[in-house]
Amino acid sequence: MSNTNYYINGLGIVSPQKTYNNNEFLPEIVAYHDNVLTSIVPDFKEYINPVQLRRLSRMLRIGLTAAIICTRDSGITKPDGIITATGYGFLNDTAKFVSEMLAQQERHLTPTFFMQGTYNALSGLVALTLKCNGYNNTYVNKGFSFETALHDGMMQLYESNFKTFLIGSYDEADEIQYKVNSRVNHYKLEHINSLELYDHATKGSLQGEGSAFFTLSKEQGEKCWCILKGVTMIFKPDSSEFLGEAFKKFLKKHNISINEIDLLINGLSGDIENDKILSEFTAKLFHQTPEIRFKHLCGEYCTASSFGLWLGASILKKQQIPSIVKFNPASLPSSIRMVLIANQYMGRNYSFILLEKV
Amino acid sequence: MSRRIFITGYGIITSIGKNAAENYQSLVDRKCGFGTLEILNTVHKDDLPACEIKLSDQQLCDLCGVSIKQGYTRTVLLGIIAAKEAMHMAGLSPSEMYATGLLSATTTGGIRELERHYYELQDPNEHGDFEVFTDTANPGEHTERMAEEFGIKKYVGTVSTACSSSANAIILGARLITSGELDTVICGGAEALSKFTINGFNSLMILDRDHCKPFDIKRKGLNLGEGAAYLVLESEDTIQRSGKKPIAELKGFGNTNDAFHQTASSPDGAGAFLAMKMALDTASIHPSAVSYINTHGTATENNDLSEGLAIQRLFGNQVPPFSSTKPYTGHTLAAAGSIEAVYSIMALSQQVIFPNLNFNEQMEELSITPEKELIENAKLKYVLSNSFGFGGNVSSLLLASL
Repeated sequence: MSNTNYYINGLGIVSPQKTYNNNEFLPEIVAYHDNVLTSIVPDFKEYINPVQLRRLSRMLRIGLTAAIICTRDSGITKPDGIITATGYGFLNDTAKFVSEMLAQQERHLTPTFFMQGTYNALSGLVALTLKCNGYNNTYVNKGFSFETALHDGMMQLYESNFKTFLIGSYDEADEIQYKVNSRVNHYKLEHINSLELYDHATKGSLQGEGSAFFTLSKEQGEKCWCILKGVTMIFKPDSSEFLGEAFKKFLKKHNISINEIDLLINGLSGDIENDKILSEFTAKLFHQTPEIRFKHLCGEYCTASSFGLWLGASILKKQQIPSIVKFNPASLPSSIRMVLIANQYMGRNYSFILLEKV
Repeated sequence: MSRRIFITGYGIITSIGKNAAENYQSLVDRKCGFGTLEILNTVHKDDLPACEIKLSDQQLCDLCGVSIKQGYTRTVLLGIIAAKEAMHMAGLSPSEMYATGLLSATTTGGIRELERHYYELQDPNEHGDFEVFTDTANPGEHTERMAEEFGIKKYVGTVSTACSSSANAIILGARLITSGELDTVICGGAEALSKFTINGFNSLMILDRDHCKPFDIKRKGLNLGEGAAYLVLESEDTIQRSGKKPIAELKGFGNTNDAFHQTASSPDGAGAFLAMKMALDTASIHPSAVSYINTHGTATENNDLSEGLAIQRLFGNQVPPFSSTKPYTGHTLAAAGSIEAVYSIMALSQQVIFPNLNFNEQMEELSITPEKELIENAKLKYVLSNSFGFGGNVSSLLLASL
């Protein structure tokens, strides 16, 4: 499985930056000042029919739009299967139902928010829209959700005759998660300019959101973005050494030496405590490697590594790096060939995703 | 499937028993968990009976050997109890635990605790015992808590595909073994009753206020339940090395999407047909070899019709005996797939078919009838276990005796 190439033949992403047009690459940068980064959305009517649009929650609109952008980009209208990933799913809708339920003493409730609140609502909606009867799954393991979905898609392609899987993430910057997680200082106490996230060496990050879909295929498509070489997850490493050992195993499995990595996409969250192990690890192993970061653009959320994957795929395809993401002065090779995304979520879920230029 | 997958242990807790032996005895004795809600505090405790585990959170903590102050949600507690039994049955040693994966499924995770402390949790000025439940509503949290309790690091994953969730956790587990990623994996699901689910299903008007009647013409809806069940899956080479005696084999599986409606099944059960067919195809088994189907059989008007028609279409005039065990346990949502996989394994190892309780009158649209009585010495070789959910998710597992 580790020697198979998995091609990312199409993608679509809606995020707190203007990312929904695949012909552009971060054309304008938006700064946020209240620690919450929310999506810049296209005109949904270009992607979703008006009858359907009216019935959908905000998150479902964003997710379905990202999926449609992706299928249009790849030219695949009917994938063999759909796999989605989320941390908190439709907590916003769930909370609306719970609020009503508590306020009305469990009487006279309407089912809309309940129905739209199940974690697999987006994968079901995408299947319904694409008339896809194939494999369908949804992963909800915090900072592992998106990585598990990628891994599942790779296994599906490896083990069967299937050709293409649609794999997507979605997470919403919802109020209740913000309030509840603020109890454990998951978000910064001081309000900052989001673009200066990495200048604030304090506890907490910024709340972000987004939805990104990718088509994963065994064969290279016309508009292929890059090759997904591998993905691995490490649960609660107790030290940067432990993480380093896991990383070495990952490289060995894919028969790659660390010197071959041209670019590190570092998923630091800007939280001085949660970033400790990952920053120690990257400082030790990647001090000579050009490094970029992204959570000052999209904020922190469970499936933020999917923004990192979009960034890596875009850099590999376009062979350019927007200055807003650059973080160290190491000089870049003339051709960027191998990219590593290293991510952590809440200091518990660590992952590595390896990408290669086609 | 290239690498054979064996079940070496299972564990279960439901409203009809806190371990495998109690569950089996209740199934044989036609003893159901249906009744008035006593543990969950809801205004519907008398008018919407359900299949509740009559143990308080404190009693569950005592069973788990954890302190209530640790902030384990009821879902986590149920999960720990069932997974511990599965690990014990499989005789997993501490060194094996390190190389084991844990895949768990849930639809609500810790919503029960979120709804209980809803206002306090959102008010930064409030402090107290509830704070241990700060981030426990997240569905991934329950798996991570369980993994930490058991010292599992190798692979931790959470599945949520509504009522087919734990069947999909089992399927992912099997595929992680097939791909060579893992040799041993604990997979299943856990679900605690909550006001959220009771009111949600009530607002959809698919709850029966009386005891549910799967496949009966007068069926009026489902009863909710709670519980957890886990299987230990191991590869053929692993059990050859350890010399462990497996209990059953996971022979095939299918996962498809009905792609018909957000919450309803298609009238002809297109997705269900495909999932069952795929389960048989992956095992290269002809439909006529199936000796029993443990159906999803929720007793909603929509599900039983759709599932029944899909069964008729796949099996033609050779439909094997089938039953729904939902009247025993209620619909345990994400946990239903693994709970019924355990019942299917019990059926295989004891060679029995569990009765479909409360069936009285034939559905006009179907020509098939569920088993009403316990059948012993049933000569079962292959058992199919179905799990369907909102969002069109349908999964089917094919289990085989050894």
